[in-house]
Amino acid sequence: MSDPRSWPGEVRVFSDYQNDFTDSADVVVVGSGPCGAVAAYELAAAGKRVVLLEEGPPFTPADFELDGALSMARTMREGGLRFTMGHVMPTMQAIALGGGSLVNSAMCIRCPDYRLEEWAEAADLARTSRRDLEPHYDAITEFLGIAPTPDEVQGPRNLLFRDGCKALGYSSEPCPRNVVHCRGSGECFTGCRARAKQSMDISYVPAAMRLGARVLTSVRVEELLSNGRRVTGVAGRVVAPFSGAPGPRFRIEAKAVVLAAGVLATPLLLQRSGNLANASGQVGEHLQFHPGTSVLGFFPDPVDPVFGATQGYQSLHFLREGFKLETLWAPPGVLAVRMPGLGHAFQQQLLDMRYASVFDAIVSCDLSEGRVRERGKSLQPEMRWSFHPDDAAILARAVWVMTEIFFAAGARKVVPGVAGHPDEMHSLAEAEALRQRPPRAGDMVCASTHVFGTARMHGDARRGVVDEDGKAHDLDNLYIADTSIFPLSPSVNPMFTGMALARRSALALADRV
Amino acid sequence: MTVPALLALALLGWALLRALAGYGRRDPALCQLSAREYALVRGAAEATFPPGGPIPLSGIDAKIPEHVDRYLAALPARTRVLIRLLFVLIEHATLFFKAPGWDGFRRFSALSLEQRMAVLEGWARSKIQLRRLAFQGLRAVLTMGYFACPAVLRAIGLAPLAIETPVVDADLLYPPIGQPRSAILFGVEDRARTVARLPLDPRGPLQPGYGEASG
Repeated sequence: MSDPRSWPGEVRVFSDYQNDFTDSADVVVVGSGPCGAVAAYELAAAGKRVVLLEEGPPFTPADFELDGALSMARTMREGGLRFTMGHVMPTMQAIALGGGSLVNSAMCIRCPDYRLEEWAEAADLARTSRRDLEPHYDAITEFLGIAPTPDEVQGPRNLLFRDGCKALGYSSEPCPRNVVHCRGSGECFTGCRARAKQSMDISYVPAAMRLGARVLTSVRVEELLSNGRRVTGVAGRVVAPFSGAPGPRFRIEAKAVVLAAGVLATPLLLQRSGNLANASGQVGEHLQFHPGTSVLGFFPDPVDPVFGATQGYQSLHFLREGFKLETLWAPPGVLAVRMPGLGHAFQQQLLDMRYASVFDAIVSCDLSEGRVRERGKSLQPEMRWSFHPDDAAILARAVWVMTEIFFAAGARKVVPGVAGHPDEMHSLAEAEALRQRPPRAGDMVCASTHVFGTARMHGDARRGVVDEDGKAHDLDNLYIADTSIFPLSPSVNPMFTGMALARRSALALADRV
Repeated sequence: MTVPALLALALLGWALLRALAGYGRRDPALCQLSAREYALVRGAAEATFPPGGPIPLSGIDAKIPEHVDRYLAALPARTRVLIRLLFVLIEHATLFFKAPGWDGFRRFSALSLEQRMAVLEGWARSKIQLRRLAFQGLRAVLTMGYFACPAVLRAIGLAPLAIETPVVDADLLYPPIGQPRSAILFGVEDRARTVARLPLDPRGPLQPGYGEASG
C-alpha cells in the first residue's frame, strides 16, 4: 500500500490559499460530485493534467454530525432549506468534496431500456441506448464495488417492504449500492462513519489524485472564460467552509473545461458567463425533479429501525406507471417531522417510532417542468417549477400503494402524511379513502433530491445544449457532465446514469484534447 | 392635533407595545436568538413538547431553544433570515388572528400553554397550504432540536449505535474542516489497523455521548 502523501496528485484545502493565484491544466473539471469525480479520474487515467475544483470542503469522519439539523446545515447548500417557487417544494444539493455522494443513500440503478428508448425518441439520440451505456455502467460497478444490499444488513424495516410486496405480488429487490462492507448503521445521509459507502471523496477522487490529478477544494467558480468558440479556463474565488466568505481570487487556464457543477449551478455558470452555449435558448429550461413523499407504517413488534441499510429495498414494479418505491431511513429528527399530533399525543407517536418502517415513492414527473435563473448576483438558483396535476395523481396513487404494502406486511397503523385525510389509518378499509379521494399536489408533503434537465442533450443543436458526448453544441471544448444533460427523467435514481454519461464524455474528451 | 388622530396614535402605540415590548433581556449565552425569538421558540417548544408527557423530557428540558440557536448559527445568512421571518410570522399572527379565549389577541409567546397548543393546531390543520407549510417549518426546527437531545433519543430507542471507524486512504489526505493539512489525524500505520466489518448489533453499545451518562 502506497502512502497517499507520495502520490503525484494533491489536494488543497481552505488554509492553503493565502493569495490570489493562477494555474493551468489540460482539463479543468468543475464539481467533484459523482459525475465530475468520474470524469476527473478517467481524464487523469488517460494521462491528462487534470485540476478538479470543488466549492465545498472535504469532510472527515470527525466532521460528520449525527444531529440531522446540524448535518444538513453543514453539508447542504442553503443549509438544506432550498425550495422551488411555483409549487413550493424543498430540494437538497450537497456542498462537499464528493458532492451528493457524501450524503446520499448510494443507490446505483441503471436506467431501464425502455426509458432510454424514450430519451432517444424525444431528443434525437443515436448512441444512448442501454447497450451503449452498459460498458460504462459496468466499469463504474467494478470500480466502486456496486452490489445488491446483502440480507444481513437489511434489518427488519427493509425486509418488511419485501414481505409486503411479495404478499401482493409486486416485484421487489435489494437496492444495488456503491457500498462495501455495509454495517447497517442507516447513517448514509449524515456521512458513513463505517467508511463503507464508496462516496466520491474516498473513491474516485483519491484515485484521480493517485494518477496525478490536483484537487482544489473551497474554491467557487464564478465564470467560464471564453474566446470565440473556445473556453479558455475558469475564474472564481476561494470561499470559506460553511460561511462562504470570499477569499483570494483564482484563474485556471485549460485546453478544455468539464462542467459538472450540478443541475442548478451548471446553467447559472453558463448564463453569467455571457450566456455561453445557449444558442438553442435551452440553458436553464426544462428543470425537472423526482418529487417524492414518504409513508410511515407501525408494526406490532419493535422494528428497531436504527439498524439496517438506509435504503435497502426497492420496487421497480410500477416504473411504467411513473413511480418507483423504496424503503427509507433518515436521521430520526428529520423523520419525526412527518409524525402527526402536538403535545403529549405527538410524544406518544414518537415513542412508537421503534415500531416504524418508512417507505417512499419518487415520481418520474414527465409533465412537470420549470426553469432556473440566478437569484440576483448571488450564484444561488431561483427555481420556478409546477407540479402537473396528472403527475401529482401518480404520486397520490403511490401513497395508496405504499399503504397497501404496509398492511400486507402486517402493519397495525399507517401514517400517510396527507392533508385532508385522517392522520392514522388502521386498516386497508380505512385507507380506502386515499383511493376514493386521492390527495392533490398541495396535500402531500413532497421533497426532491433528484434534479435534471437544465442543459439537455439533444441530437439537434437548435433544441439542446450538448451532444451525446456531452460537448456543448456551440463550443469546441466545453463539456457538461452532470444530470443537467438528461433530456427526460431516468425514472430511477439519476446518479448512476449521470456517472455513466460522464465517463463516456471523459473518454471522448480524452481523445480530443 | 385632532382627537381622532390622538386616539389613532394612542392605539398605534398600544399595538406596537403589545407587539414588541416586554421581552426581557437577551440571554448572553445565546449567539443568534434575540429575546423575542427566544420567547417564541421557548413557547412553541413547550407547546409542542409539554412537560409531564410520555417522554420524560419536555421541549425545555431537551434544551430546544439552545439547539435552535446553534442551528441558526450553522445556517447561511439568507436561510437564517427566512427562519427568522417564520418566527416573526408565528409570534405576531395572533395579534391579528385571535387565539381561543377572551385574551386571545396577544402575541404567541404571551399566550397560555393551552392557547399556544390550540394556535399551532390551527396552523397544522389549515386549509391553506402555505399556512400548513409554515407550521411544518416551525415544527421541523423544534422537532430536530428535540431529537438532538441524547436522553430523548434513548427514551425513544433511537440512539445511534457505536461504530469503529476504519482509516482509509482519504483520511491521510484531508484534515478536519478549517484546519491545515498538518492537522491530518492519521498516518500510514493507522490504515493497517483492523476494525470490525460485521453488521452492527442492534442491542450493541451506543455511540459515546448518547449513553446513560450523557444526559
